[in-house]
Amino acid sequence: MQRQWSLQAPGEPEAEPGGEELCEQEMERLCLSQQPVRVLPYAMVDKRFIRQLREPEGVKTSCWQQWRRRRQTVGRRLGEAARRLTRGCGLWEGALYEIGGLFGTGIQSYFTFLRFLLLLNLLILLLTSGFVLLPLVWLRPPDPGPALNFTLQCPGSGHLPQPGVSKFNNLLWNVFTGRAFNNTYLFYGAYRAGPESSSTYSIRLAYLLSPLACLLLCFCGILRRMVKGLPQKMFLGQDYRSPLSAKVFSSWDFCIRGQEAATIKRHEISNEFKMELEEGCHLLLLQQQTRAQRACHLLTYLRVNILIGLLVVGAISAIFWATKYSQDNKEESLFLLLQYLPPGVIALVNFLGPLLFVFLVQLENYPPNTEVNLTLIWCVVLKLASLGMFSFSLGQTVLCIGRNKTSCESYGYNACDYQCWENSVGEELYKLSIFNFLLTVAFAFLVSLPRRMLVERFSGRFWAWLDREEFLVPKNVLDIVEGQTVTWMGLFYCPLLPLLNSVFIFLTFYIKKYTLLRNSRASPRRFRASSSIFFFQLVLLLGLLLAAVPLGYVVSSIRSSWDCGLFANYLAPWQVVPELVALWLPPPSQRILYYLGSHAFSFPLLILLSLVLTVCISQSQASSRAIRRLRKQLVWQVQEKWHLVDDLSRLLPEPGSGDSLGPESPVSRGSRPRSFCPGFPCPGSPGPRPRGNPSASTLGAPDSPCPALKGLPAT
Amino acid sequence: MGGSGSRLSKELLAEYQVRETRSPGSLRAACARERMVPVPRPGGWARPLAPGGLLTLLSRFAFQDLTFLTKQEILLAHRRFCELLPQEHRSVEESLQARVSLEQILSLPELKANPFKERICKVFSTSPSRDSLSFEDFLDLLSVFSDTATPDIKSHYAFRIFDFDDDGTLNREDLSQLVNCLTGESEDTRLSASEMKQLIDNILEESDIDRDGTINLSEFQHVISRSPDFASSFKIVL
Repeated sequence: MQRQWSLQAPGEPEAEPGGEELCEQEMERLCLSQQPVRVLPYAMVDKRFIRQLREPEGVKTSCWQQWRRRRQTVGRRLGEAARRLTRGCGLWEGALYEIGGLFGTGIQSYFTFLRFLLLLNLLILLLTSGFVLLPLVWLRPPDPGPALNFTLQCPGSGHLPQPGVSKFNNLLWNVFTGRAFNNTYLFYGAYRAGPESSSTYSIRLAYLLSPLACLLLCFCGILRRMVKGLPQKMFLGQDYRSPLSAKVFSSWDFCIRGQEAATIKRHEISNEFKMELEEGCHLLLLQQQTRAQRACHLLTYLRVNILIGLLVVGAISAIFWATKYSQDNKEESLFLLLQYLPPGVIALVNFLGPLLFVFLVQLENYPPNTEVNLTLIWCVVLKLASLGMFSFSLGQTVLCIGRNKTSCESYGYNACDYQCWENSVGEELYKLSIFNFLLTVAFAFLVSLPRRMLVERFSGRFWAWLDREEFLVPKNVLDIVEGQTVTWMGLFYCPLLPLLNSVFIFLTFYIKKYTLLRNSRASPRRFRASSSIFFFQLVLLLGLLLAAVPLGYVVSSIRSSWDCGLFANYLAPWQVVPELVALWLPPPSQRILYYLGSHAFSFPLLILLSLVLTVCISQSQASSRAIRRLRKQLVWQVQEKWHLVDDLSRLLPEPGSGDSLGPESPVSRGSRPRSFCPGFPCPGSPGPRPRGNPSASTLGAPDSPCPALKGLPAT
Repeated sequence: MGGSGSRLSKELLAEYQVRETRSPGSLRAACARERMVPVPRPGGWARPLAPGGLLTLLSRFAFQDLTFLTKQEILLAHRRFCELLPQEHRSVEESLQARVSLEQILSLPELKANPFKERICKVFSTSPSRDSLSFEDFLDLLSVFSDTATPDIKSHYAFRIFDFDDDGTLNREDLSQLVNCLTGESEDTRLSASEMKQLIDNILEESDIDRDGTINLSEFQHVISRSPDFASSFKIVL
């Protein structure tokens, strides 16, 4: 704890009372502190000593202390067990360990994300089956009475009211399109329940609330993980980049084993540092531009973004037309192709889009970080916009959203073409989910694998240029988030879709692991684990919001099918809730509930939240002002201290032979450990400094590559 | 030039014994314990070893209380440690007393590819010449690098590992050695002198709060607290 030299330096005056007091204070503090011994940064022998000092053997510990210690151990064990549970009980630990050892934590974070999504899907499945399926199977509610008489003039003679009769009765094809499962619990249509009463379990309420509850839980879970991975930006007036020093100190992955992996990691780190330095220079140059140059620069930004925006608009309109065409021509002879046309177009768009974006962005010569971020943002926008457009165009054909068609007027949905529209929508999402998975498998085995084999077999400039596939983490993450968004969209129409998604994620893990270990090469651009956690969770959150909005709209405003499912006699699925509230709750509670849902409650709540937000913001501003003041004070105090030390050494007598207070003795610079920090005793103070200006060596030299670098101020 | 800031030196322990007899009131009142000061033994142990199986020994020495490792991890660590010992010294009692040389520890696959392996072993070694690790040192090492260790203790030891000259602060030479370790010595990854200078200038600009040209422990911990992936990268699992 205490510096060795203060006790061993020869010729020194007796250990000063100051030094002894320090040691004693430290020991007292350690004995009295409540921190567990394991947290102290000492060797085990010393920790044991401190432990003995706190609670010596032979001294009877009081009952309360024993109980407290037992409670701490139990708490610790419970915490460990809970942590293990949230990590999936050690699922795939060995594989993650191997991947982390070979490729570092950046790529390992993708596979950890897969595990997180698998657990999320299993949780959703558990909720759904626990609240909906099990009661349904157990209670066996009676079927509702016969449906209302249905008369509707449908345009187009010879138009079959039941488009479900297909010419192909191939079992495999029926499985792929979902027709085989039409009357199973996979889709909405098979769920039936009797009329509501005040004493039975309401399957309808459970079916309605479980997707909403699952989305809410997922939202909270994602938000929590996102906040944990939030890169700390300095909001104290410096530019909006994560600090370079933090990057440098945390750049090595200590879990890497294997010499080749270490070499690759060194290349990555070196590239990253060089890129950061380049970026810093670029930023400095930018800051020195005139206004006209800055305006020009902004225009070039605008140019490429507008171009890419136009491409995205074109892509999503292609998806719109594809979906409309596929829905309008369900009975064509080519409907094999048309069944999978929308997913096919989405996949094509999302394959070509990023390539085009990368090409266009590179034409502009941005700094590397900006290039990467811009491309990534546009890829995310394209992915989510294509899914959004797909669901909108489905809504247009099935529910006549945004256009007036006579077939929608009487029942609120296109009853001519769709007898059970929820099933149709569920089938579309089911097909999209399966298609995405098959595409993943196809790419892994029909593109990456032959590519690797060809590159290994042939040699030549073309093959050397082609090389193995790069394992790009963002692209893979976007694919898996798309699958998860589709699952969330389909929670209402296809309640067992999470089961399917879990199976797909499970298989995807092994396929991606195989691709990574055998058919890929590490990308030269480093992908940090921290920014990746934040990025993954952010994209997942956007997907969740994209899935929640249509669900909210459908649940609250759209008429359900008259003939199938649970909400056949309701104006909208949400109408079950007021009915049940009226049945189950006594009038006072009903009044309270209505008040909570009305405007009279939400306005005061909004005002209260704004007040709280204002207080938080002003607090944080005051804190940042205080931090700035304290920094200045610290710098000033250290400068003053060095001035005093210099004055003292000037005033001391000239060094003679054997005089212990010469410039080379460490005592001349003060025997107190200079860097004694609160909380932990520091490992010691710096050695003797060269006389003169302590920061002389840090002034900017004329040969630095960047002009006008800010050097350290001279004292 | 010690820098072994984590050891209570033998002189200190002896001083404690002396101080206890001289002025029993000062610390005793604060800590409220009997006159019980461990006698430092050559191996650093404070009580006699009891016979018995490994599990009873481990529970007796309360490794689980003194480290962040679970019981399975401690047993695994013991097994790996015994593999480094010669065959005849692999009994339980001997393994807890023995010391393993630095070369053998550096041959572990978890450390072999690490550019900081010598520094890690030096920092955790409690022998006077800092060239061998006992089982307890090995457990300390694994505890700090484990999953459940607090970020505070990780950053404390990271500071000591990066402090190549053991003087308690990170000055320019320490930082330059650190960057060279990270980027390697090969021609295409090594940073040029001007790049190195610019990088170190930037680091000091950002982290040296008191502007004295070096980074001390609290400044280092402040910087590390702003990097959320430090805790996940500063991990070694057997």
